[in-house]
Amino acid sequence: MRLPRRLVVMVALAALTLTACTNEVSDGGGEGATGGTSAPQAEGVTGRPVKVGFSAPGADHGWLKAITDNARKSADELGVDLILSEGTNDTAGQVSQVETLISQKPDVLVILPQEGGALTPIALKAMQAGIPVVNVDREFSTPAAYRTLIGGDNYGIGEAAANFIANELNCQGNVVEIQGVAGISVTEQRSKGFTDGIKRCNGGIKIVASQPADFLPDKGLQVMETMLQGHQDIDAVYTHDDDMAMGAVQAIRNANRQDEMFVTGAGGSKDAMNLIAEGDLYRATFLYNPSMSASAVSLAKLIAERKGLSELVEPEVPSRVELPATTVTKDNVASVQNLGY
Amino acid sequence: MAVDSPPRNALAGWRQVPVQELVLPVVIVALLVAGAIIKPDVFPTSDNLLNVLTQASITGIIAIGMTFVIATGGIDLSVGSVLAAASIAGGLVFENGTWIFILAAVGFAVLLGAINGLAITWGRVVPFIATLAMLTIARGLALWMSDKTPISLTELSILQRVGSGRVLGVPVPALVFLAVTVAGWVLLNRTTFGRHTIAVGGNRSAARIAGIRSNRVIFAVYVLTGLCVGISATLLSGRLASASPVVGNLVELDAIAAVVIGGTALAGGKATVTGTFFGVITFALIFNLLNLLNMPAEIQGIVKGVLILAAVALQRRD
Repeated sequence: MRLPRRLVVMVALAALTLTACTNEVSDGGGEGATGGTSAPQAEGVTGRPVKVGFSAPGADHGWLKAITDNARKSADELGVDLILSEGTNDTAGQVSQVETLISQKPDVLVILPQEGGALTPIALKAMQAGIPVVNVDREFSTPAAYRTLIGGDNYGIGEAAANFIANELNCQGNVVEIQGVAGISVTEQRSKGFTDGIKRCNGGIKIVASQPADFLPDKGLQVMETMLQGHQDIDAVYTHDDDMAMGAVQAIRNANRQDEMFVTGAGGSKDAMNLIAEGDLYRATFLYNPSMSASAVSLAKLIAERKGLSELVEPEVPSRVELPATTVTKDNVASVQNLGY
Repeated sequence: MAVDSPPRNALAGWRQVPVQELVLPVVIVALLVAGAIIKPDVFPTSDNLLNVLTQASITGIIAIGMTFVIATGGIDLSVGSVLAAASIAGGLVFENGTWIFILAAVGFAVLLGAINGLAITWGRVVPFIATLAMLTIARGLALWMSDKTPISLTELSILQRVGSGRVLGVPVPALVFLAVTVAGWVLLNRTTFGRHTIAVGGNRSAARIAGIRSNRVIFAVYVLTGLCVGISATLLSGRLASASPVVGNLVELDAIAAVVIGGTALAGGKATVTGTFFGVITFALIFNLLNLLNMPAEIQGIVKGVLILAAVALQRRD
């Protein structure tokens, strides 16, 4: 038994060394290629490449996968040394991951917490140890736990969707809402923004049904099927997520009712953007773009280099960056399609 | 018991049916009546009831396979993940057309089911652990094989017709569900394999003395469940027009719940396919009705849980 195990370890070590080598090689190549335009190998105040620790929940669906991919890509482009720990969907697991990251003494930490509240103490610890934290998407419970927050605007998604649907329907019609996971803040804010947003129609737009489908396409299909049974007159379907909306779209097509209504999504997936470009059934999505992790890595690099955003007068990175829930329709989809995940 | 004549035997068999299997039909009738009263315009329409049957089909087909597993005293926690993995396996070869898709999806699900069966028989791992391991393996495979991205199947028009078409006005998934139920009933009640399944679950050493090869039977029920999952994966992918690595979340619990409220004993040795069918229909009706009433998700969860408790408690009365 002992020999094989040793063999496994040796193979693993060999693989590690190999990856390390390839990384070095590709870094070097990048330097040569980009040459003078921008310094590809970021240099911290100490003169070595900026080291950024990155932790996010397990990349088990489109959006989170894009978050991790984008961070990696951005680090490659910026010449940042990114220590990326493989995601976990367990809060306690993520805490120990961040602890491990801290022990590797990064210049900056980028954290997308599974739960903001639960990761706050460890983020505070990092801040107190002099490692600035860039908080992505889900906010820590105190601003003291991060140097900079970058996130999307969930309430804004609901509001923008309400605006879009109200305009399309001239403030008159029936809407069904397919929500994300019941009881989490993302869902509540996307819902609240929408209900508040349609108030300007003075009751002209009615939410005739509202059900969660957990961000999952198969549940989106089921929920939509039943809503189609229950409501003979639906004008618009407001969904909280592009992946889940694909199930709803399929239910509407299966029932052959695509001429009666349209669907809006949220997030900005490639599939959604393709459907929007086609036109008709899928009419809009609202960006909640996973490119935010790429920006987070850029911000982390700037923080480590004690620089500000070059277009701003202030010499340091702002403490909060909130990305707009840009409305994507057929008219502007071409300009954002490259952001699709 | 002393006087044992053939008619008496038939009667005894009949007497068991109402006690075990009448609870759910009563619940189903009550739900139908309630639905017809609360939502007279929508609920009792044939369209809606066929929709209920269609929605029940994905979990339902899996639950029929699960009935055999539970009859042997086993459990299969991996079905939801295998459902996703099988969809992706099909999705990876979808360019070759619908039939290759079905072959890949069903084949992969059967393979994973066979691995479950081998782990339990040859590897002597208890079913709970073996299939728990498969739950995480299959989900991992689904995510890894798909690179965490859904695969669009809009080009497979035949597959979509399988998922959402109708034959004689009845949705195809509903027909397949009914066919699998009938096949499951025959297999359990009219074949040697069915008798052996019950015998293995009832008393394994007695079954061995009776000359039944328990391991073969146990291996077969996990393969059978894999087959059912593969069929479900095909139907689900057709309905969604895509293969997604995140589908099938918690389907295992819905399937187990349906089997258990149907009257199949978790300890094994007693099983009813009809009961499972009614169990699946009950849950689908509740989902449909509460959804039509626009009840919040938490209420749906509570109703489902109370129903599981009540149904099982009532069946224990005999």
